[in-house]
Amino acid sequence: MGGAPSNVASALSAAIPSGLRRLTQTEAVIDAIATEMRRDARVLYIGQDIGAMGGSLQGTQGLLAAFGPRRIREAPISESAMVGAAIGAALFGRRPIVEISFGEFLPAAMSQLVNQAANLHYMTGGVATVPVVVRTRVGDGPYGGHPQDYSAWFAHVPGLKVVMPGHPADARGLMLAAIRDQNPVLFFEPMALAHGPREDVPTSPDETVPIGCARVARPGRDVSVVAIGSMVPPSLEVARQLANEGIELEVIDLRSIQPLDTSLVIESVLRTGRLVTVHEAWVTGGLGAEVVAAVAEHAHGALRAPVVRVGTARVPTPSGNVRPHALPNAARITAAVRQVLAA
Amino acid sequence: MNDLALYRWLVVCRELDRALCVENPRWFPIEGEEATVVGSFVDLRPDDAVAPHYRDPFVVYLMRGAEMWRLAAQVLGKSSGYNKGRSVPFNGPVERNVVPWVAGDLGTTLGVAAGAALAFQDAGSDRVCVCTFGDGTANRGDLHEALNLAACWRLPIVYVCQHNGWAISQAAETYLLSSVADRAAGYGMPGLTVDGNDVEAVRVALRAAVARARDGEGPTLIEARTWRWKGHWAGDPQAYRHGPEPAHLEDPLDLFAYRLLERGTPLAALQQVDDEVADEVRVALDRARAEPAAGAAELGLDEVYA
Repeated sequence: MGGAPSNVASALSAAIPSGLRRLTQTEAVIDAIATEMRRDARVLYIGQDIGAMGGSLQGTQGLLAAFGPRRIREAPISESAMVGAAIGAALFGRRPIVEISFGEFLPAAMSQLVNQAANLHYMTGGVATVPVVVRTRVGDGPYGGHPQDYSAWFAHVPGLKVVMPGHPADARGLMLAAIRDQNPVLFFEPMALAHGPREDVPTSPDETVPIGCARVARPGRDVSVVAIGSMVPPSLEVARQLANEGIELEVIDLRSIQPLDTSLVIESVLRTGRLVTVHEAWVTGGLGAEVVAAVAEHAHGALRAPVVRVGTARVPTPSGNVRPHALPNAARITAAVRQVLAA
Repeated sequence: MNDLALYRWLVVCRELDRALCVENPRWFPIEGEEATVVGSFVDLRPDDAVAPHYRDPFVVYLMRGAEMWRLAAQVLGKSSGYNKGRSVPFNGPVERNVVPWVAGDLGTTLGVAAGAALAFQDAGSDRVCVCTFGDGTANRGDLHEALNLAACWRLPIVYVCQHNGWAISQAAETYLLSSVADRAAGYGMPGLTVDGNDVEAVRVALRAAVARARDGEGPTLIEARTWRWKGHWAGDPQAYRHGPEPAHLEDPLDLFAYRLLERGTPLAALQQVDDEVADEVRVALDRARAEPAAGAAELGLDEVYA
């Protein structure tokens, strides 16, 4: 965290027209929010501990000082009312961001998310629009608390968009895109990356990352490793290690869960013939299953080995010391890669 | 609004509802509760937001300029309904500051309505929102969250409990042991109970609460006591109803009509309103019946996302 305040201050200073800055994921998200709040007076931010405290995991540092309590609006602990109010404000012309401090609290707002936000545009015959961003944090993190990752649930529901960045530049670009989107977008921040290494992040307000587009994080010919969020850096680390053995992994960072960019995955598997999926959420009914289904539907003949799905063990994600034994990591990704290569 | 115009809204509410019940026995009849619905919304400005409870809210949408034939078409499952045959048929014209009702779940609208009020406050306007909900909905945690949020943020909103004594088949004495209005004190907002069968009493209460909201003084909780005359849905056999109906079972239309006659309105004037509304409803229903049923053309795969 050393040096964070100065970078936050820089993130909140007047936008630099072009260029790059070194920011953590958290600083990059704050920069995106500040950029949009400066650009668009309709953007407001609702949540808990987002003011004087500076946000859970320092996630809103500097915003209160920059934009004041009317736009950085602290709410009682009432997830359903907060999300409902964000939906209503969006229906009546505002562009709210509502922060649910941790993804474990999303179920408290479930009806607003899946019965209201997701359905309103369709059910009103395409008249109502709900430009709401729901920002939340999931997975293992610096403090180990609130690790449950329910992100896959929301991909099941038509009408929602779901994104999860895997590095700071995407965190900024996806947040910019989410705030400008006309639809409800759930923005999941992997807590493992919150205060991760600083990376180059664009400064231009125009450098959005389109929702629904995966990226090739590292090209390779032998195995397609399809990852998201916190599992992107360890997948890249495994790719670097295995390159020493002459094994070339192609690491794909999905970035969006809904819409899901299966075309990039299919194109990759057609070349590699081998597939490993990696995410921090559980395997059963998860994002990896959806990726594998897309490959089975469109590239079945290309597979030269059974696929392997890597995720958290099938236990409620422990927040105590048992946690490392449940979570996916570089060693498990390596084992999965060796398994698909051996077949 | 003059007396006859007010009487007209009450008659529209009842006559359209009766016609819809005949057309669709799964419609949720409003009969007996007209004064609460009309009195809660009739004095709002067109730029205020309305979030009526789902039980036949159509008179509120008609106050907003909705087309009666399109509302009827919605209940008949026609493609020209405001919902294009996609949702429970409670929708109104969203573009006329109607808070949409798209789901079958109760209570979420309380939070969404608070959001409409938040938008008005955030934009620095003096617009307000009125949200009605049932005595059954009063037990959703959403009411607690919405009232507290509205109070903490001093939102320009009025919540009205349309207390009709029933939650589907359950009688209120089994799930509501004391007044809903009394809960207001727990949120630091005014709460009051009115005779929900007296349209003028409802209007008086709403006028004060709306003025308070418009002046930036925050929300009010009103409990309007009325009675559900019919089943939960029109065809409901109501095997659960026993015993005498309560003393406050009064006809809101009769109550107001007798008052107008005492004030000197000629009976013929009231009868003329009745006849005009009956014609209006007949014309709307005829047009709605002639519309094509919603079907594959309204599936709308391209209208899931904006």
